[in-house]
Amino acid sequence: MLGLFGTLNLAATSLATQQESMAVAGQNMANANNPAYAVEQAVVQTSAPIETMAGEEGTGANIVSISEVRDALLDSQIQSENSAVASYTAQQSALQNAEAYLGEQLTNTSGASAAATNGLAAKLSNLFNSFSSITTGAGDPATVVQSAQEVTNQFNQVSANLSQVQANLNTSIQNDVASANQDLSQIATLNRQIVLAQAGGGTANDLVDQRQQTIENLAGLADISTAAQSDGSVNISIGGVAMVTGDNAIDSMQTYDAGGGQLLIQDANSAAPLAVTGGSIGGSMTVRDGALSSLQTGLDTLASQLITQVNNIYTGGYDPNGGTGRLFFTGGNAANIAVNSALVADPSQFQASSTPGADGDTQIALALANLAAQDNPDLGNQSLTQSYAQTVSSLGDAVDTATDNLNTSQAISTTLTNQRSSESGVSIDQEMTDLMQFQKAYEASAQLVTTLNAMMETAIDMKTT
Amino acid sequence: MRISSSLLTDNLLSQMNQLQGQQIQLQNQVTTGLKVSLPEDDPAAMNQVLDLQSQAAANTQYQSNITQLQSTAATAANAMNSLQTITEQAGEIATEAGGVNSSSQLAAYATQVASLIQEALQAANTQNAQGNYIFGGTIDNKPPFSAATDANGNVTAVSYKGNTDQSQTPIGPGQTVSAQVPGENTAGNGPAGLLADTGSGADLFRDLISLQQNLASGNTAAIASTDSPNLTADENNIVAGIAANGVLQSTLESAGAAATQLSTGITTQTSNLTSADLATSLTQLDQTQTAYQAAMQSGVMIMNLSILDFIQ
Repeated sequence: MLGLFGTLNLAATSLATQQESMAVAGQNMANANNPAYAVEQAVVQTSAPIETMAGEEGTGANIVSISEVRDALLDSQIQSENSAVASYTAQQSALQNAEAYLGEQLTNTSGASAAATNGLAAKLSNLFNSFSSITTGAGDPATVVQSAQEVTNQFNQVSANLSQVQANLNTSIQNDVASANQDLSQIATLNRQIVLAQAGGGTANDLVDQRQQTIENLAGLADISTAAQSDGSVNISIGGVAMVTGDNAIDSMQTYDAGGGQLLIQDANSAAPLAVTGGSIGGSMTVRDGALSSLQTGLDTLASQLITQVNNIYTGGYDPNGGTGRLFFTGGNAANIAVNSALVADPSQFQASSTPGADGDTQIALALANLAAQDNPDLGNQSLTQSYAQTVSSLGDAVDTATDNLNTSQAISTTLTNQRSSESGVSIDQEMTDLMQFQKAYEASAQLVTTLNAMMETAIDMKTT
Repeated sequence: MRISSSLLTDNLLSQMNQLQGQQIQLQNQVTTGLKVSLPEDDPAAMNQVLDLQSQAAANTQYQSNITQLQSTAATAANAMNSLQTITEQAGEIATEAGGVNSSSQLAAYATQVASLIQEALQAANTQNAQGNYIFGGTIDNKPPFSAATDANGNVTAVSYKGNTDQSQTPIGPGQTVSAQVPGENTAGNGPAGLLADTGSGADLFRDLISLQQNLASGNTAAIASTDSPNLTADENNIVAGIAANGVLQSTLESAGAAATQLSTGITTQTSNLTSADLATSLTQLDQTQTAYQAAMQSGVMIMNLSILDFIQ
């Protein structure tokens, strides 16, 4: 039998238990809007019973631990979805930049069908039309030179802007690598603190929350794999190379230039290339070496084909003074294509005739105009304009795909986050109801103390009377 | 399902974001009238639109080329008609001269033919609107026919400075024509010379000069035996040139009609690919707006509810 004092003791622990539970509810409510927070629960257990003649008798309840509600599987799914979302976001934004720089945006021109009037497609058409116009005898070589300069300027600008997009991607890869390395060492530090806190059988809920947030942040930068250890620490590896083991950040990421001016990732210890495919780092590299690089290559091929084909025909032509053999375009790719400066200075040097001394002979201009629709084996049997339309459409496909992928992974991420929020998030309603429950229990325990107090007075009074 | 406090707000926010995104897209469609404006909107359609756009641009150029050539061809037709008239008149004079014995009358005819030669020279050196000579082949920057005169100012010979080439101008996909006409072709092949052509034996200036000289010298026998039939051959040659010009003009006309038709076709195709259906877009916009309002309203209603309102 517990006796009066035993029961009083039971009432006291009960009061303490309800108080502690209220404190946990308070902590939960305080963190209701903290996305990294997992709802905590005071785990109440009956205290050790005592044996009596009548059998086991309870001695009240104690709080044995404050646990947090975390689903490790959900956490790891969210973390890998984070990598996907960040990767597609990086790809989408870089591709949309490139799309804007291409300038192929349809607008409704008054009285005519929709057209992209500011892009290379329209400018190429203008150039070929100016060649065609020469064949009527009414065309002006100065117009040809001007149209050609608009084409070369557009090539130069788009090419420079695409290089800028790629340079920006390199910069953001560098910044991301720096933040990722910081995250890695922070995770190692948190691991140490968590292991220490849990060594004595304690809990480190808030540190675990913080570490989970850091891990998810890191997953947004690069695709990582995590392995939870029995001592409470989490090991991190990237591309199969261990980065954090226990409380040691044993390795880190490094950028290096493989020679093409495009930064790649290696691990700092062995200088071996790291396969980073996800996260914003992976996304940046994917889009830089994928869609953007093929866009740049497509433009370069187009420019070099334009230069070669036009020059091949043009050099055989004669200007009105019998001059011949000069080039129309100089340069070799989209970045450096230019109209021959001598022709810019004196458009009357335009070599339109196939025979010297025949001003009305414009067969060279005709051959140049015909290039517009001529299939080119070096461009996959497409004409120059078709090949360019194909390049634009490929970029559109890449943006479209990145957007679709982003939407999908965002939807998955939202579902997972909602699921986690449903399991681990704080519900004010629930905490309030719990609070009322704890309050009532606290009141009841206090009532027990009052009752016991009265009983004890009765017992003492028995002697005095 | 357990609903945490942040789940409500997070969900509401993401749904409203999504609805707002849709609204912006639909609003863009309504204001621009286009369902495709960037390559990402519909890459395949964009590819076709750019293709159609370059076709349309080329087609516009064909139309402008056709207009240029039509003007040149019309000028050429005028000149050819005057040349035919001149030839006809010279032929009449040649016929009439056979019955004339008076040397003064023949001299008067000779003067008349001399002025016909000048007229013919003028017509043969006709320029188009750009100042290019039409009857010099591809040498169009100098008069194709130049005359040599004697002390009396009579033309004794006319030499051809042009060539027998024709430069082609595109007037449709894969279709080219030339409005340049060689004035003389003594090679026996290639395009016919308008005034002198070995194939048909015509040489207008040779025959006019010969007629004038025979009139001046009173050699009516030579006029009847040589000049008269030669002038007939000349006229036939010019009529052949006029017929060729007619073919050119009708080719230009049908190419122009084809270009106009193609242009309409391209506009329709582009519109099919790019134009937003206003009725659909507006209806969808309306629906999205309703959903957006409903989301906000229900959100406000649910978020206002809390157990805190009910416990004391």
